[in-house]
Amino acid sequence: MDLIEVSGLTKRYGGIVALSEAQFSAWAGEVHALVGENGAGKSTFIQILSGAVHPDEGKLQLEGQPYSPINPDAAQALGVAAVFQELSLIPDLAVEQNIWFRREPRTALLTVDGKALRRKTLELFDKYRFPPLDPARELRRLTLAERQLVEIAKGLAKDPRILILDEATSALPAKEAEWLLALTRQIAAEGRLVIFISHRMGEVRAIADRLTIFRNGSTVASHVATAVSDDEIVTQMIGRPLVRLYPERKATATERIALKVDDLRSGSRLTGASFELREGEVLGVGGLQGHGQRELFQSLFGASRATGSIELWGKPTQIANPRHALIGRDGIALVPEDRPGQGLLLTKSVRENLTLSVIRRFTDKGFLSRGREAALVKEMVDFLRIKAGTPEQLAGTLSGGNQQKVIFGKMLLTEARVLLLYDPTRGVDVGTKGEIFQLMRDLAARGYAILFYSSDLPELVHVPDRVLVLRSGRVAATLGAGRVSEEAILRAAVLDEAA
Amino acid sequence: MSSFLTRNRLILLAYLGMVVLLLVTALFSPGFLSESNLRSTLVLAAFVGIVALGQTFVIIGGGIDLSIPWVLNSAAILMTLLCAGQDLPLFWVAPLILVGGAAIGLINGVGVAIFGVPPIIMTLAANVILQGLILVYTGGSPTPSAPELIKFLSVGRLGPVPVILLIWAVLALVASLLLSKAAFGRHLYALGSSATVAEFSGVPTARTIILTYASSGLSAALAGMLLTGYSGQAYLGMGDSYLFTSIAAVAIGGASILGGSGHYLGSIAGALVLTILTGLLPALNLSSGALLVVYGAVILVTVSLGSETFASLWGLVFKNKKQKTEGD
Ligand SMILES: Nc1ncnc2c1ncn2[C@@H]1O[C@H](COP(=O)(O)OP(=O)(O)OP(=O)(O)O)[C@@H](O)[C@H]1O
Ligand SMILES: [Mg+2]
Repeated sequence: MDLIEVSGLTKRYGGIVALSEAQFSAWAGEVHALVGENGAGKSTFIQILSGAVHPDEGKLQLEGQPYSPINPDAAQALGVAAVFQELSLIPDLAVEQNIWFRREPRTALLTVDGKALRRKTLELFDKYRFPPLDPARELRRLTLAERQLVEIAKGLAKDPRILILDEATSALPAKEAEWLLALTRQIAAEGRLVIFISHRMGEVRAIADRLTIFRNGSTVASHVATAVSDDEIVTQMIGRPLVRLYPERKATATERIALKVDDLRSGSRLTGASFELREGEVLGVGGLQGHGQRELFQSLFGASRATGSIELWGKPTQIANPRHALIGRDGIALVPEDRPGQGLLLTKSVRENLTLSVIRRFTDKGFLSRGREAALVKEMVDFLRIKAGTPEQLAGTLSGGNQQKVIFGKMLLTEARVLLLYDPTRGVDVGTKGEIFQLMRDLAARGYAILFYSSDLPELVHVPDRVLVLRSGRVAATLGAGRVSEEAILRAAVLDEAA
Repeated sequence: MSSFLTRNRLILLAYLGMVVLLLVTALFSPGFLSESNLRSTLVLAAFVGIVALGQTFVIIGGGIDLSIPWVLNSAAILMTLLCAGQDLPLFWVAPLILVGGAAIGLINGVGVAIFGVPPIIMTLAANVILQGLILVYTGGSPTPSAPELIKFLSVGRLGPVPVILLIWAVLALVASLLLSKAAFGRHLYALGSSATVAEFSGVPTARTIILTYASSGLSAALAGMLLTGYSGQAYLGMGDSYLFTSIAAVAIGGASILGGSGHYLGSIAGALVLTILTGLLPALNLSSGALLVVYGAVILVTVSLGSETFASLWGLVFKNKKQKTEGD
């Protein structure tokens, strides 16, 4: 029997139809994947399932009983727990306090029982074989990937019958993502239901028993995973066949050095990186999580303190702060790691976000020209096909992938020709991913120089010209054309750990 | 313009509240709507409005300025002392005092932006230090009366229009242009929404913060000088009530006290609401203690009408109408 059954589900936000007449059914013991383009309505759908959003119309049934949770607590009481796309943790609390937030074990005096809290956390980590995570660590000191693990732990701590994971792998490095995939199978084998959202076809393929395809707010089809090909899925998702995900890799690098980095050090993680990035080149950055990748990107952008020498277009440069990095065509621009924390003003419009770094491009004698601003905004919205009702829609109400597109557009508008892309396709759908990769190659062909980190190994193999592998904060290996493969990257990343 | 209003529903609400309050007041004391009374209400509101100008900038940027009372008071006292009742010295004294006010703000801004001192601590300390310095300097002795020129600026008229309203109007225009039409405004809203995102986007965050506090020091100093013209002289404690009113005016005007939103046009409505309220309360024939209770309660209610919780209630009330406008 179906554990959950949904029909005619509709949700509107003002004039925007987020979900229209969605159908869905899933049974206990399966991993059920939801796939679809950015803004197709996947997150809205699971927000309704988990009681965070209320539908306008539609019928939901849980084990044959009408189901309309008034809030996430009510959904939880019925065994439905979700790990949302936008993380919801409290920065000032420790890992364990976040995991058991509002459900802490109590002593007889009703205070929080610290010992029991620690024990339950360690038991939880142990039961699901969590990657190493210090329960006492304050959340604000964790990386995005670690925060994602805490969020997953919080979901599992509720011991749900239905576990919903909304792009939970998108922020995880390869090993941890692998672990999560295995975990979903284990949970399904226990007779529970896992609803799994991802833009990575490989992951969906690896674990899903069935999948439901969303397009423009509707559910267009459900399939048994083994009975459908990748091409069929993608075609139903985007309404046309995808020609190719990874672009043709024509070498466009010139002799000119765009960025020369020598012995760059920052904090305890980046301990002396040296490399050269040439004009027209896409240079990948790989390695295990926490080996200096984010410190490298942040120091090059002037967002963290660093020592060492940096030459930009042949000139020695001190990059004191991001404002300094973004000085026009000879500058450096960044797509940062943390979308709501560093990249986007969630409470401001798409327009204000897109143009925030380039206000001078439409100011005359100190006054803004709305017309010229609108032209820049339109250019980017059309170019990246950002799905927003109007440019005045608040950035925080866009779907995750569309938020990422806004950040990308904001960076492109700066016209800086050295681009630092830290996981730029996180949460972006396949069609758009292909477009972004193509765009990266086109920009390179036009003389841009691109440093590209991705948490998705195949992207590193297929997009850049060369790949730097960082280990313990230094460049452990540089893999040139023809030598890049997933194994080669992993081997270089762990070499001294294996030895 | 219509998009400005839909995005700034709270400002509209503040003006609506002001009109309602005005009508209620007229009910209780019919004389309130007389020309002369309206005029003096506007003049009083102008002082609150001028002080609230800098505070608006500071609050939108995510800070708060608690040094206003003694910046205002110091400006008033120093101006009257240095002018000694004469008009002529005003031509060097007034610029000096305005620069001084801005300089205090600048110090506040540097403390907050560069040294990372929390705004409450920084500005509170500045307030206390200024208070101490003035007490030491004057020894608490009374000051000469205000120069005639200042009196003209604060209570004089050009035809039927009080001069101070013209000053206020010019300031309001400048502030609104800065917020809506200049790069500074964009920087400010971004800063108040998220300092980290603003920094990552290349916004000159430190400079913007410093500018907001400097403008707050400047507007408080200006208000201080003008206020001596209204009361005839400077006296200790004359700035005290302006701390609360400047913050309340900004909040009533629809700004989030956490930063990132609000507009000076809202703060103007806030200043008017507060001043009308002080005009209404005496008409209610309450004891002075009870007056304060009502005063505080009305402000609390007005500000919370704009809060998140009420926003969702408003959303329900306006639901049908809103869907129609967004649809076309
Ligand atoms: N609070 C809101 N206000 C206005 N529009 C909204 C709101 N929440 C969602 N939407 C809109 O609903 C649509 C569906 O969004 P949803 O987040 O469900 O997409 P998604 O399939 O999860 O996309 P992604 O893969 O990018 O995460 C989007 O167009 C989005 O802009
Ligand atoms: Mg989503």
